[in-house]
Amino acid sequence: MDFALEKDQELIKKSAREFFEKECPKDKVRELREDPKGYDPNMWKKMTSLGFLGLIIPEQYGGTEGEFIDLMLFMEEIGRNLVPSPFFSTVVLCGMPLMEFGTNEQKDTFLPEIAEKGKIWSFAQTEQLANHEPEDIKLKATLDNDEYTLNGTKLFVPYASAAKYFLVVARTSEGENPEEGITLFIVDSKTDGIETEIIPTTARDVRCEVKFTNVKVPKKNILGEPENGWKIVDYVFQNTAVLKAAEMSGGAQAAFSIVNKYAKERKQFDKPIGSLQAVQFKLVDLLTDIDELKYLVHEAAWNINAGSPSRKLNSMAKAKANAVYHDMCYHGIFLHGAIGWTEEMDIGLYHLRTRSLEFEGGGTDIHMEKIAKELESYQPDFLNLK
Amino acid sequence: MEFQFGEKEEKFRSEIREFVKDNFPPDYFGHLFDEEMDDDAWDFAMSISKKLSQKKWLTMSWPEEYGGTGASTWERVVFGEEAGYWGIPGISMGISGTAWVGPSLMLFGTKEQQDKYIPSIAAGEPDGVWCTAYSEPDSGSDLASLQTFAQKEGDEYVINGQKVWTSCAHRARWMWLACRTNAEVTKKHHGLSLFIVDMKSKGLTVNPIKNFVGGHVFNEIFFKDVRVPANNLVGEENKGWAQLMTALSFERGVAITFCGRARRIFDELLCYAKEIDIFYKPEIRQKFADLAMDLEAAKLLAYEAAWKDHMGMTVIHEPSRDKANFDILLEKLTRIGTNMLGAFSQLDPLNKDTRWTRVKGAVEHLYYYCIGMAIAAGTTFTQKTIVGQFGLQQPKSY
Ligand SMILES: Cc1cc2nc3c(=O)[nH]c(=O)nc-3n(C[C@H](O)[C@H](O)[C@H](O)COP(=O)(O)OP(=O)(O)OC[C@H]3O[C@@H](n4cnc5c(N)ncnc54)[C@H](O)[C@@H]3O)c2cc1C
Repeated sequence: MDFALEKDQELIKKSAREFFEKECPKDKVRELREDPKGYDPNMWKKMTSLGFLGLIIPEQYGGTEGEFIDLMLFMEEIGRNLVPSPFFSTVVLCGMPLMEFGTNEQKDTFLPEIAEKGKIWSFAQTEQLANHEPEDIKLKATLDNDEYTLNGTKLFVPYASAAKYFLVVARTSEGENPEEGITLFIVDSKTDGIETEIIPTTARDVRCEVKFTNVKVPKKNILGEPENGWKIVDYVFQNTAVLKAAEMSGGAQAAFSIVNKYAKERKQFDKPIGSLQAVQFKLVDLLTDIDELKYLVHEAAWNINAGSPSRKLNSMAKAKANAVYHDMCYHGIFLHGAIGWTEEMDIGLYHLRTRSLEFEGGGTDIHMEKIAKELESYQPDFLNLK
Repeated sequence: MEFQFGEKEEKFRSEIREFVKDNFPPDYFGHLFDEEMDDDAWDFAMSISKKLSQKKWLTMSWPEEYGGTGASTWERVVFGEEAGYWGIPGISMGISGTAWVGPSLMLFGTKEQQDKYIPSIAAGEPDGVWCTAYSEPDSGSDLASLQTFAQKEGDEYVINGQKVWTSCAHRARWMWLACRTNAEVTKKHHGLSLFIVDMKSKGLTVNPIKNFVGGHVFNEIFFKDVRVPANNLVGEENKGWAQLMTALSFERGVAITFCGRARRIFDELLCYAKEIDIFYKPEIRQKFADLAMDLEAAKLLAYEAAWKDHMGMTVIHEPSRDKANFDILLEKLTRIGTNMLGAFSQLDPLNKDTRWTRVKGAVEHLYYYCIGMAIAAGTTFTQKTIVGQFGLQQPKSY
């Protein structure tokens, strides 16, 4: 049992923190809220040249072949600094499934483009039900000779307006089981018939509606096995749960520091509000929650890293993140009083992301059910003694 | 970063399970406070203390010269978890020979005191059973305000006053006592001292106090001119507060055992839910999932505190954070558990072997006793105060 970071893990954390503190101060975050691009191409270039985009990509494809834990620590820093960027969609939602399920040719073509050139990717899954379930996948892909034709509409597609490629989750057949008949396609964003429109969201980290009208995709652009694409979606979902939880953990830690500091400075009744028990005990509860979240995420990530991913731990990490991040932001604003409810303070910037962070990687009910599913086969120790 | 135990610890874990298998009745559960309340449970606990001592587990964290094995933090963690899970009684030698009387004597006691009192604790002898007398009717959370007074007369101290809520005093051979030796102080924390008192002393009266469920856990104690030899003073006269704080910090490191205990009750409840076939219900599933998550999270924090200790980092607020955390978690566990038991949750925890009893009586017992746990050893609020001041560096709230 060891809660410390290894030397190289410390290094990644430190370099990410220093980079984002310098390149992405809160002024920058505010500025990007007014920019329809929603990210800073200059910062993106620097992130690429520093090797951040290749963090987890194998060396043979131009990356630094880091581990899952490294990526988790990096996401904590993104969350801490509220970095608006297409990093998550490019690396986690698309790069990782390409690494895991791509053909050699696909990997040769696309991975170096991500690692070395910072080509932006986006994952198009969500539709009208917006619930992470296979029933939600209605976008149709029909085969004609060696070409598929895509028709349908995807929602909340991250940074679609900047993406060079989409990974599109499509339905290729209707069966009894909605998990069957799903296929993933790599689609060039410049293909005819694609229309993108930004959905106004509070985080303004560019979530789009993407309409596909008779979009032609060659057969060789299928990722993984045709018809069996839900497996890839599930793989992406599990990673997203843990890594979004990491982002939320970093954000909650930062929000907590802001509030803990404010409670020492703000005086009422001639004393710091932090000396009032109602305030102090709330802070204590939040600290406990934040520590718990941090280690639940570390534990889940460590298991993935060790090659023994635990669906139960992944779901615990995300469910906890959903609870803690909201709580931290709500009480973070509350404990500031009215000033916390203004644009002036940073704490509100954190809460503007709560809704998207909570949805991505799965809401609380989904994960509670997944934990319960794992408990179905759980064998208590006391039954094993005999 | 590593989230698993080493081979050595896992091997130790299976040894403990073998021990449980060999020495406990099948289906043994071991409810909190049973040893204090029930004579048979007490005798069984003492027999286990002896066996644990023979295995060198009773005081394994102590240095070898005092009858320990200098066990690592992680072995201690494994033992604590298993003790909680299997309900292993007799691990503390009253309240608490193993957890703070022994370790405090090693730090502050004279050679003579160490030779006289430590071996019987390590040996798991009835002579090594202690009680701890801090609280008084007017001094609870505000412990430093205590008034029981020890007046020095020649080579003796004469003690007068009253203690209350003293757990296990009706079982103990010795008392670990905090009292005042100087009343003329400007700050109440000054002028306190620690003493060892023979429970057979003249002038000492121990009266049982029953709790509201009818169990006898704690007592009130009256001191009327109780004479103790001056060399029963532990450490320095009037410097007791610092020693007391050290002893209290040993006391608050209970979270690991609660991890095991809470997981056992969770496991039992889960089996019950599957047995009566309600586990498929969404509202039941969601509660179990929620508890499983809470247990995992609380366990990780308790491990983190142990890890810091293992690394030689200063651990100040963490045990308090974890005690408060488990206070709250145990209550939640019982609320969910009693709800699941429905009408059966109203069974009287004084009788645990009736044919109406469900889940080994664990739920209704904990339902009442978790409140006592939340008050004992510093209330949940006292723990939060410690976290606020030392963990968050917030200004004092009082
Ligand atoms: C099962 C059990 C076993 C015990 N065993 C022992 C033992 O062996 N030896 C021993 O010496 N004592 C023992 N105690 C006593 C225990 O240490 C005290 O009960 C505890 O310290 C609280 O003191 P009190 O009961 O006087 O409550 P009080 O201090 O009067 O507190 C009453 C309420 O007010 C709250 N409160 C008090 N001060 C503050 C504050 N500053 N801020 C916010 N809230 C506050 C408390 O949290 C509590 O809810 C035991 C208690 C129990 C329940």
